[in-house]
Amino acid sequence: MSAVATNSTSRSLMERLEPYLAIIGPMVMILAILLFMGVAEPARYFRLSNLNLILLDAALYMPMAMAMTFVITQRGIDLSIGSIAALSGILMAFLIKQYGFPAYVAVPLALVLGALMGLINGLIITRFKVPDLIGTLAMDLVYRGLALVIAKGLVLARFPEMVTEIGRGQIPGFIPVPVVIGLLTMALGYMVLKQTHFGRYTIAIGSSPEASEMTGVAVDRHKVYAYVLMGACAALAGVMLTGKLNAIQATSAPYFNLHVIAAVVVGGTSLFGGRPSMVGSLAGVLLLSMMINALVTLRIEFFWQSVASGVVIVSSVALYTWIQKKDRDGALGLLASLRSKEAQRMFRFSAALLGALILLLAIGAGLAVDPTPSG
Amino acid sequence: MTDHPLVQMRGITKRFGGVTALQDVNLEAYAGEVLAIVGDNGAGKSTLIKILTGVYQPSEGEIFLDGQPLEMASHSDAIAQGIDAVYQTLALADHLTPAANMFLGTELTRKVAGIEFLDNRRMKSEAARVLDERLGVRLRSMDVTTDSLSGGQRQAVAIARAVYHEDLRVLVMDEPTAALGPQETARTLKLIKALREQGLAVILISHSLDDVFEVADRVHVQRRGRRVGVVETANSTVQEVLGLIVGAPANDAA
Ligand SMILES: Nc1ncnc2c1ncn2[C@@H]1O[C@H](COP(=O)(O)OP(=O)(O)OP(=O)(O)O)[C@@H](O)[C@H]1O
Ligand SMILES: [Mg+2]
Repeated sequence: MSAVATNSTSRSLMERLEPYLAIIGPMVMILAILLFMGVAEPARYFRLSNLNLILLDAALYMPMAMAMTFVITQRGIDLSIGSIAALSGILMAFLIKQYGFPAYVAVPLALVLGALMGLINGLIITRFKVPDLIGTLAMDLVYRGLALVIAKGLVLARFPEMVTEIGRGQIPGFIPVPVVIGLLTMALGYMVLKQTHFGRYTIAIGSSPEASEMTGVAVDRHKVYAYVLMGACAALAGVMLTGKLNAIQATSAPYFNLHVIAAVVVGGTSLFGGRPSMVGSLAGVLLLSMMINALVTLRIEFFWQSVASGVVIVSSVALYTWIQKKDRDGALGLLASLRSKEAQRMFRFSAALLGALILLLAIGAGLAVDPTPSG
Repeated sequence: MTDHPLVQMRGITKRFGGVTALQDVNLEAYAGEVLAIVGDNGAGKSTLIKILTGVYQPSEGEIFLDGQPLEMASHSDAIAQGIDAVYQTLALADHLTPAANMFLGTELTRKVAGIEFLDNRRMKSEAARVLDERLGVRLRSMDVTTDSLSGGQRQAVAIARAVYHEDLRVLVMDEPTAALGPQETARTLKLIKALREQGLAVILISHSLDDVFEVADRVHVQRRGRRVGVVETANSTVQEVLGLIVGAPANDAA
């Protein structure tokens, strides 16, 4: 009995912290970036114009991160959002430039088209039982391909004011229009998550699909809803991107999917379902934009961005998995597990692989000839 | 206890392809009574109650509720008739609060400007009320997620979901104490007795004959898809029921 009591008190501290972990995590990382940049490049990083740049970049990802929070909470994933954004943007551009549609019709049309693409994703996953990873990866190819077929190599540019307002407008004395749009979608997402059937069932489905099915929740229908929301938000991002650059082409928005998934996961939404954090997703979006902006400010080569994003995803997922594990043994347990037989085998295996690498490099260097003449 | 059975299953046969899971089974359950169903693994207990709760349809046979023939195409049909079940897995979503779980699929809502929103506050107070008044269970906090509750508390939440429907008349429980320790088992048995006092017909599947003899009024014994006997716990012994279960020739077997 006493053992039970002590156990529950020590757990209650963790329990009290747990709801805030999602926010604490990215906040700590944001602070770390601020501190680091405060030392490394304070003058250029903390300029008002640069903060504006960060916000503008983050705004683009906010609607998608909101929708992706629902998709991931349902244990789903959507890899096709970059292509949906590009295809919706291209279609809107053609409607405006080729067919003379007014912008106030073409913009909502783009959102509906995005929602339809999301509907196709959702039906493929729920009706045809194609796993979400493969299904949306394949549809990513389809939507991107269609964008290329329609636009060829064209860059469509110069759009009506409404489109550029959405992408880069500035409310005088306040924040940019896209930031307002982004924050609004986030707030709306938060409300939907807490206050509607769709939000409640999203958590239930991610927590236990079988239990949801048994209690009469329409699991497939609510999964489809999440993908439709995702598609519409990706299209919104496509419109915002078009407006921001005042141009769009078929190859735009290449890495939206990984960037958005990273932001959501960094924000503490569990990839294993059932644990959403809308506030965390917002923090995650801000964190990634600050990080990429910091890399740019430090004049680090563009290609390192993808390295940094990947490292951030892996480390944050590992961290959250460790935090959410209920039966941690602490550092002692970790050390003990390193000394186990199995760990030693893994260690020897890795050492052998590294040894082979070093050996081959040594042989190569030993036998190397002057490389220039062969060309 | 009344003379007429509240539920009656007559001549139930269920075949899954070539496998005959149930063969010509009869079952009667009365209001204000706990009926236990016992039998070895694979004897057809779960299949029988899944037919009663509308999850499966019988290959042959009929079900009567209050003397009226019952046609059920799905589990929700059974719920509409006042028959519900608490499955062994409890069907809880671990990341939701107890209240959210209790109302999963039947959420209370309120309208704001014509739009329907969840009424989280009312669901919370209603959940606390039902847990307390009908089951005598008080949780330390209604705001935690369900996975932080003990096995018995989770059980209580699942039962509360079933009894919240005012017109619930038959409650089926599939091995409710299988995963519980002695204290939690005692609490769940107390819960079952409380439900009997409230006039429900409770059908309990269990492998623990001790539990069965503590709460049940009658015991329905299944063996290899057939009903091999019904005994009253007051006039029987664990030995006799055990004999029926394994098919040993007990001195006074039915
Ligand atoms: N969906 C199904 N398809 C095919 N056979 C089934 C199905 N469900 C049950 N059976 C078979 O019917 C028989 C009875 O199974 P049932 O689950 O009802 O047994 P049980 O008495 O509940 O056993 P346990 O005590 O192990 O829970 C078993 O032989 C089982 O293999
Ligand atoms: Mg069973």
